[in-house]
Amino acid sequence: MQKDKSGKIENVVHPNEKLVKTHCSYCGMQCGMNLRVNTVSNKIVGVEPRYDWPVTLGKMCPKGVTAYQQTNHSDRLLKPLIRDDASLKGTKEGFREASWEEAYDLITTKFKELQTNYGKNSLSVYSGVSMTNEKCYLTGKFARVGLQTRYIDYNGRFCMSSAAGGFLRSFGVDRGSTLPWTDIHETDCIFMAGSNTAECHPTSMFRVWAVQERGGYLIVVDPRETPIARRADVHLDIKPGTDLALANGILNLLIQNNYTDEHFIKNHTNGFEETKELVKLFTPEYTSEITGVDPEKIIRAAELYGKAPNAIVMFARGIEQQVKGVDNVSGYTNMALITGKIGRPKSGVATLTGQGNGQGGREHGQKADALPGYRKIANPEHVKEVSAFWGIDPSEMPKPGVSAYEMFGLMEEKTIRGLYLLCSNPAVSAPNLNYVRKVMKELDFMVCADFYLSESCEFADVVLPTTTWSEDEGTVTNLEGRIIKINKAQEPVGESKPDWQIQIELAERLGRGKYFSHLKTARDVADEFRGASKGGYADYFGATWDKIDKQDGVFWPCKSEDDPGTPHMFLDKKFYHPDGKAKICALPYRPPAEEPDEVYPLRLTTGRVVYHYLSGNQTRRIKFLNDMCPEPYVEVHPEKAMEYGIEHDEIIRLYTRRGQAFYKVKITEAIRKDTVFVPYSFGHDESINLLTIDALDPISRMPEFKACAAQIEKLEIKKVL
Amino acid sequence: MKQRLYIELENCIGCRSCLAACTQCGGHEERNRNYVYDVNPFVNRQTMPLMCLHCVNPACARSCPAQAIQIHETGAVLSALVEKCIGCQNCTIACPYGIPKFDTEQNLMYKCDLCIDRTKDGIPPMCASVCPTNTLQWLTEEEIEMKQKQFNLDNGKWTASMKLEGETNVRVNLPGILQGVTKLF
Ligand code: SF4
Repeated sequence: MQKDKSGKIENVVHPNEKLVKTHCSYCGMQCGMNLRVNTVSNKIVGVEPRYDWPVTLGKMCPKGVTAYQQTNHSDRLLKPLIRDDASLKGTKEGFREASWEEAYDLITTKFKELQTNYGKNSLSVYSGVSMTNEKCYLTGKFARVGLQTRYIDYNGRFCMSSAAGGFLRSFGVDRGSTLPWTDIHETDCIFMAGSNTAECHPTSMFRVWAVQERGGYLIVVDPRETPIARRADVHLDIKPGTDLALANGILNLLIQNNYTDEHFIKNHTNGFEETKELVKLFTPEYTSEITGVDPEKIIRAAELYGKAPNAIVMFARGIEQQVKGVDNVSGYTNMALITGKIGRPKSGVATLTGQGNGQGGREHGQKADALPGYRKIANPEHVKEVSAFWGIDPSEMPKPGVSAYEMFGLMEEKTIRGLYLLCSNPAVSAPNLNYVRKVMKELDFMVCADFYLSESCEFADVVLPTTTWSEDEGTVTNLEGRIIKINKAQEPVGESKPDWQIQIELAERLGRGKYFSHLKTARDVADEFRGASKGGYADYFGATWDKIDKQDGVFWPCKSEDDPGTPHMFLDKKFYHPDGKAKICALPYRPPAEEPDEVYPLRLTTGRVVYHYLSGNQTRRIKFLNDMCPEPYVEVHPEKAMEYGIEHDEIIRLYTRRGQAFYKVKITEAIRKDTVFVPYSFGHDESINLLTIDALDPISRMPEFKACAAQIEKLEIKKVL
Repeated sequence: MKQRLYIELENCIGCRSCLAACTQCGGHEERNRNYVYDVNPFVNRQTMPLMCLHCVNPACARSCPAQAIQIHETGAVLSALVEKCIGCQNCTIACPYGIPKFDTEQNLMYKCDLCIDRTKDGIPPMCASVCPTNTLQWLTEEEIEMKQKQFNLDNGKWTASMKLEGETNVRVNLPGILQGVTKLF
């Protein structure tokens, strides 16, 4: 690793340029970077590594290297857009440029009209977490105090909500990683389930490889032989949607072979005996029957994890985007709890957070049932605290709403008639898109705030131009739980405005100015937000911008000005349940919602490629990234391809009970024979979410993106895309 | 303290961050100069970077009739001098790895100069700076020696460069490094 020298490497500063230190706009790694700003034009012109950022040491994936190209991109929205002809919804057509005043007038008139006729809750806010904590916080306040609606939720329901649900149940607290990333290369065994780490969190990889270089072990659970699985000591090539059986099977082996830590189990956990009984059923053979993984490999994986002096269990959307995502999280977390490999350096549990602020954005009140500081609307004390802070009466606090996907159901039945969408692109990212797009089209009134004309903007009546991450400042919380600072590198392009400013100006026009008008700058929002989180368990009060700068970030909880924060969770072996113990969960196995059958014999799974981020609204516009991966494809094993008589690069029809799409075939042995894979970052007819299922996890309300039943049709007449 | 580009082929994940970053070097006119290949895409996801190895006696420079390819005192084999390059493309054929690229519009060869603007001052080249996997590293001689000791391979082929085109300034570790690693338990 370049670690020792990293602090000493100087940066190159070109003539007429300055460097603004910040972080990447994309994934939860939040790689440190310097934006190169031309001091004559005051525009961002490039990127320079940030060698002294301790998590990533200057490293960036290709998305990070080219992220700066978003800011002054020719596709940026420069003015508000209004579409007068609602019949053109669902297309790019019919928009005209308008002034902010005209756009605001229209929005206020329509919002008031809907709320007068159909009640406060006829409006909804659908948000995202690829933005700062300050914006996420204010969006929650905007919905509940500004619009006074209960219906707010966010795209973390398609991302981190299962991890959150699992951690809350197992630990009583949801911080995505129990230890800092700078521990990873020093552990002895990594158990990585459902994470295509090399493509989705590439800058973790130098630490992962370092474990193997030191003689440690890497175990990977994935239906595909991804670049990280290729080098694993054990690759458990699991059938999509069967993780819980594997977790139970490994748990059983750990118990049978005495890898448990009796002292830890007795003093710091509940639920062991019950779990032990339940997992007895999961012998290697039975586990193999369900998961399709060779029993020998399961035995080997359990042995390696069991023997390792230190080990980290890690996972991502592969296990979380299932109808039992929460159970999968608790199931794999059980491994650390029964062996006591948690609550100390170099051992623990971590999820690889998808979006830049996937952690912070789920803590501060954008979730249908949550308030700042990870408080709950269901808890009257919490409602009292936050109401007092906001200066409203507790009776005015709206009740909990429903999850992101369920909002579409309420739109269909006209309970929800208006939508304010920001920082998200559900016209690509939601499951079962034929339905979602139809519902969005039928909304009475829709506003979309974005910096590009996304596929979701195409359903809007009004589009508001927002800033990119580089034109505003604030904090985000990376995948470690480390609060870091995003800095402003240039003035907003055109007439674009940061989301917080738009929401304040709208709230004022809706007659709610007294709760918002005191906020003039991003820093004002930041200070209010820290105060709002105070006393909640995700307490950010002590995480001032100065401290973040001095300490290279602050790990929450950080309760006061002199609290340095909490890089390692549970060092005192105290968990956050009332009795201070963690919960070992007994979890009966459930199959995926839709199993393959004669008509739909294949298992369809989806994921990212290294060149694209989420719905691709940003990365598809970046030339380098789009050149590298301009279109989706379907990965098929050569034996399966032979059965269907299809060839590499041939276009086929892929279909499920919900929809169809045409894809080029990519033949590879690096996938299970019964499984096909399509990347999800593409729009319109290319969206794989036209085919995915909308079955939801009962706790997290996460759709089962990762497993449904599909079929391939070879086309009689060759199709050209 | 002499530092070299060191390539650990086994680490590559094919993200092509090195190519994206190449364009960010001040002298590179936003064009990337190296390659990443899928080794056997129908079978697995192995990939490998193909970077200029900065040969001590480079075939590209030897083949140039106009002496347009200069060698920097650090050993970096530079891109063709604009005023000297006659666009004959000899170098693109002479290089055993196919590194030099040709710009038909400008009638000009261009190749990796190891980010000479950076490396002349000991700052790592862009590719090695950003590489998320440590496939590309910028190491001192001592660090490279330590690697050599740590990965004592059976096949004796620790550096590929000796067997290919004479001595190179860049050091390459062939796939298979992990064969030589002693497991912790
Ligand atoms: S996308 Fe993620 S891994 Fe890539 S540079 Fe950005 S933060 Fe780092």
